[in-house]
Amino acid sequence: MDPSEVEFLAEKEMVTIVPNFSLDKIYLIGGDLGPFNPGLPVDVPVWLALNLKQRQKCRIVPPEWMDVEKLEEIRDKERKEETFAHIPSPYYMELTKLLLNHASDNIPKADEIRTLVKDIWDTRVAKLRLSADSFITLQEAHAKLDNLTLMEINTTRTFLLDSLNYMYKLRTNMQPRSDAKSQDY
Amino acid sequence: METQSYMPVPPGVGMEENFLSLDDILLSHERLPCRTESAFPRLGFLEKSSDNRDISEGTKMEMPLWLAKGLYERTRRVLSVELPKVYREGWRTVFSADPTVVDLHKMGPYYYGLGSQLLHFHNPENAEIAQTVLQTFIGRFRRTMDSAQNAYNEDTSALVEPLDSLERALFKVGQNGLNAFQRWEMGRASHLTASSLVVNYRKRKITDLQA
Repeated sequence: MDPSEVEFLAEKEMVTIVPNFSLDKIYLIGGDLGPFNPGLPVDVPVWLALNLKQRQKCRIVPPEWMDVEKLEEIRDKERKEETFAHIPSPYYMELTKLLLNHASDNIPKADEIRTLVKDIWDTRVAKLRLSADSFITLQEAHAKLDNLTLMEINTTRTFLLDSLNYMYKLRTNMQPRSDAKSQDY
Repeated sequence: METQSYMPVPPGVGMEENFLSLDDILLSHERLPCRTESAFPRLGFLEKSSDNRDISEGTKMEMPLWLAKGLYERTRRVLSVELPKVYREGWRTVFSADPTVVDLHKMGPYYYGLGSQLLHFHNPENAEIAQTVLQTFIGRFRRTMDSAQNAYNEDTSALVEPLDSLERALFKVGQNGLNAFQRWEMGRASHLTASSLVVNYRKRKITDLQA
């Protein structure tokens, strides 16, 4: 999976916007949106929010967790705990990037948030690598991927799966086979 | 996104070979030290070191893996296959001490593949070989992973050099993942670029052919 495909999935997440135009309810396959009234907050998917924002039709209200204090708390928890801590949004990385790139004027302390999210990401990826390594070394049979986000899994997916395949094959070598049946050529 | 004009067949790795895998074809040319257990009349021309017409019983010679696999049979003793030195006990000790220091490309480059293939020859040390090959892979995994996922935008030839062909394939996969993520993060993923197929496509013109 390409990261841009993950980003595409993230664009289905809802955010709150404050529009500055009025429009009736719009009916889409994915659900009804609106009605839009100037000054009244309404929930829309990220793709629409960004589109409206680019046309200067709305102001984006940052999600609750996109806040320096909350992110600092998450970062500290992430550093303290050995397992993956709970993350408020399954698309935190993608949403941060999308919202900060397109609507940084609506988000207070955008630069600090960017650094914090990057810190959280780095901590989690380091953890992921550590647990992948111990998964291989201890030759475990299964792992629980609680609280991991799609983007994180996506960075190591093919690598880890290929390694596990190879390892499985090398391990089946060790089984004494019921052979005696030699191949005929 | 990584686009290729064809899908290469991956190596079989285990005791089975993938018929269409280029890696496995190259692997089948690895030389194995063998000892003939019966005479091969009129095949002396295969053995360059002597001028005899026949290959006599008990001759030591090297054979490619594909030939040894074809001739070997457990019941009819035609030839016995000895272990290449990387799989013998001395080297097995080295691998169990620290698998990361060994340059597997120089020793292999098909260390894992050949090690699995050797199990066809019913060597008494089969169990130890299989164990060592697996442990070597596990022991070197961390280094392969770290080097693949941390080396962004730098010269990787030094990192790749000591890797077995199997580990190289893994390294490439890991690098693809890292590069794709970095490209996305820098915001370059949204730029559309022409597919490498289109860029490399050249329409042959009749004038070029005739010139």
